[in-house]
Amino acid sequence: MTEPVVVCTFGGTSQAGQDETEAALTLGRRVGEARGGELRWLVLGSAPVELDAIARRHAVVAVDHAEDAKLDTAGPDARVEAVAQYAAETQPRLLIFNQDFDSRRIAPRIAARIGATAVMNGLGIDVAETGGLHVISAAYGGDTNVVYAPDPSRPCVVALMANAVVAEPAGGSAAPPETRSVALDLSAVEERIEVLEPARTEGPRLEDAEIVVAGGRGLGSPENFKLVETLAEALGGMAAASRPLVDEGWIDSSRQVGLTGKITRPALYLAVGVSGATQHMAGCAAAKTIVAVNTDADAAIFRHARYGIVGDCLEILPELIRAAAQMGAG
Amino acid sequence: MRIVVCVKEVLDPDAVGAYALAGSLVIGDDGKTLTQTTIPTLMNAYDEQAIEAALRIREAGVECTITVVSIGEDATTILRHAVALGADTVVAIPPPAPDPDCHAVSALLSAYVRSSGGADLVLCGRQASDDDQGVVPAFVAESLGVPLVDIARSVTAEDTSDPQSLRVTRVTPDGDEIVRVACPAVVTVSSELGEPRYPTMPMRMSARRVEPEVVTADELGLSGADLEIRVGTVRQTVPTVKGDCEFITGDTPADIADRLVARLVEDRVLQQK
Ligand SMILES: Cc1cc2nc3c(=O)[nH]c(=O)nc-3n(C[C@H](O)[C@H](O)[C@H](O)COP(=O)(O)OP(=O)(O)OC[C@H]3O[C@@H](n4cnc5c(N)ncnc54)[C@H](O)[C@@H]3O)c2cc1C
Ligand SMILES: Nc1ncnc2c1ncn2[C@@H]1O[C@H](COP(=O)(O)O)[C@@H](O)[C@H]1O
Repeated sequence: MTEPVVVCTFGGTSQAGQDETEAALTLGRRVGEARGGELRWLVLGSAPVELDAIARRHAVVAVDHAEDAKLDTAGPDARVEAVAQYAAETQPRLLIFNQDFDSRRIAPRIAARIGATAVMNGLGIDVAETGGLHVISAAYGGDTNVVYAPDPSRPCVVALMANAVVAEPAGGSAAPPETRSVALDLSAVEERIEVLEPARTEGPRLEDAEIVVAGGRGLGSPENFKLVETLAEALGGMAAASRPLVDEGWIDSSRQVGLTGKITRPALYLAVGVSGATQHMAGCAAAKTIVAVNTDADAAIFRHARYGIVGDCLEILPELIRAAAQMGAG
Repeated sequence: MRIVVCVKEVLDPDAVGAYALAGSLVIGDDGKTLTQTTIPTLMNAYDEQAIEAALRIREAGVECTITVVSIGEDATTILRHAVALGADTVVAIPPPAPDPDCHAVSALLSAYVRSSGGADLVLCGRQASDDDQGVVPAFVAESLGVPLVDIARSVTAEDTSDPQSLRVTRVTPDGDEIVRVACPAVVTVSSELGEPRYPTMPMRMSARRVEPEVVTADELGLSGADLEIRVGTVRQTVPTVKGDCEFITGDTPADIADRLVARLVEDRVLQQK
């Protein structure tokens, strides 16, 4: 077991979660091949249903399964300690997480705990001529890309952004992975953060929506956001918003799309009155078809859009609602 | 209660975005630094909101001192802004070498907190809007051995007369989560906290001449190895977005809407029922 590349996942039973896992495994395998290091998959807590098939598809050498009742309660302290103990034993060179809300709060702490370097917002990893890693990462919300060279004498923790890497199976027929249960001792862990009121998980998740209608500041007032909701409903999709609308309290933060909101990848993303700042696009650039309605023909959003309408969203929205309803009826 | 707020000076992200959109963002000769002098610098917006969070704790009746600390080439302007907002003390730590990485910054910040008598609460922004990394608070928390509560929309003392523990509302993808954490702790603040106040004219006037207290790495007992760059920057580039937008036009909004829907049905993005 020499300096393995480890992909660490936890929770996530959704399709999007599985796709992201496969993207991370693809990246991990490539780095392992380029610099010599077996690919291991550390699963914290309950395992994904298709664990075996996924592991084989990506030529994972070993699946390390870390199970403990404390890992299923999703407390950050148990997870940090579990990965730190695992790292002490396995000595990974590179530890890859899928970047999401939960990993963002544990990955840097794990790095600090094990003396590793940390790079978030990862878009890819190259192996430099010197054998060291070059981690490509988004900065300024995506307005620039930065190539970081983490100190090769330390392990490196990378959080990979959603949709940054396209999953690709290893090809050929890989041997089934060795499966191992990781010995942990979490008895000393007591979560220091006490949850008084948990977040309520109700209804469908924006991340899973096939059709998203997003409103931006161009809507002008909170009342007009109802048009966005009505259109979303008429199309059988979900309503979302840019950050200013969330900051102003027009809509709940669980509907914010972007760098500091949700990463969506619907079949259709219809954005009205959204300028298309990179921090917003970070959450929707992977949509299959983007449609934008904006009064400003030079708005950034049109660079990402497949179809554009230059016009007042307050005039277009009612007509889109009508057309969508007719489509449903016809 | 002693509150330390960590603030970073950054290039205005909106201006960076505007230049990037116009295709005129300039990377310097070193291949990695944004050198445009026309882009204004300002206090990272989340950090300004972290100061706001501290001020709200004080206004809720908690007896506290608010110290604002920044590591940067010349942090005087943003630290004066912090004073105008209501900070009691401002501290500038000059970086021992240019462009310190998150490891060096975290080492300096935690050494400062430790050597200045500790803090009951360290407030940070959820991320700096230049590198967007959001790792410094985690490193500081681990270094100080205290819990990290991230992405807060509100931070209050459970008992204002005896602030031993905090009640924090975290913004999560599934809605708000309310947690309790004992002090000392590191808390990161998100934009949902709301607009930070605007400094009053008299406050701005009196902050104008304030000189931040300067603390050096030497004084913090840190040297070479503690501060070595562990994550070096090789280069920075501006990605290009190739647009292929087809504009839908028509005589009336109804006409435009019908054409768009027809195209989406044609593309099988929408299904006719
Ligand atoms: C660190 C950081 C993180 C961030 N994270 C996020 C994030 O996660 N999500 C996010 O969305 N933003 C985020 N932002 C903010 C982002 O940079 C933009 O400021 C924001 O996305 C702009 O929102 P907007 O497009 O609704 O508003 P604006 O930029 O004000 O755009 C409004 C648009 O509406 C158009 N318009 C005006 N009137 C009409 C009309 N009648 N009809 C049609 N169009 C009209 C205008 O031409 C304009 O293009 C972040 C910023 C930073 C610095
Ligand atoms: N140079 C710095 N000086 C003071 N605080 C900083 C500095 N860099 C980062 N921070 C703090 O750490 C937070 C996250 O920064 P980052 O990890 O760089 O995204 C910021 O919002 C600040 O609160």
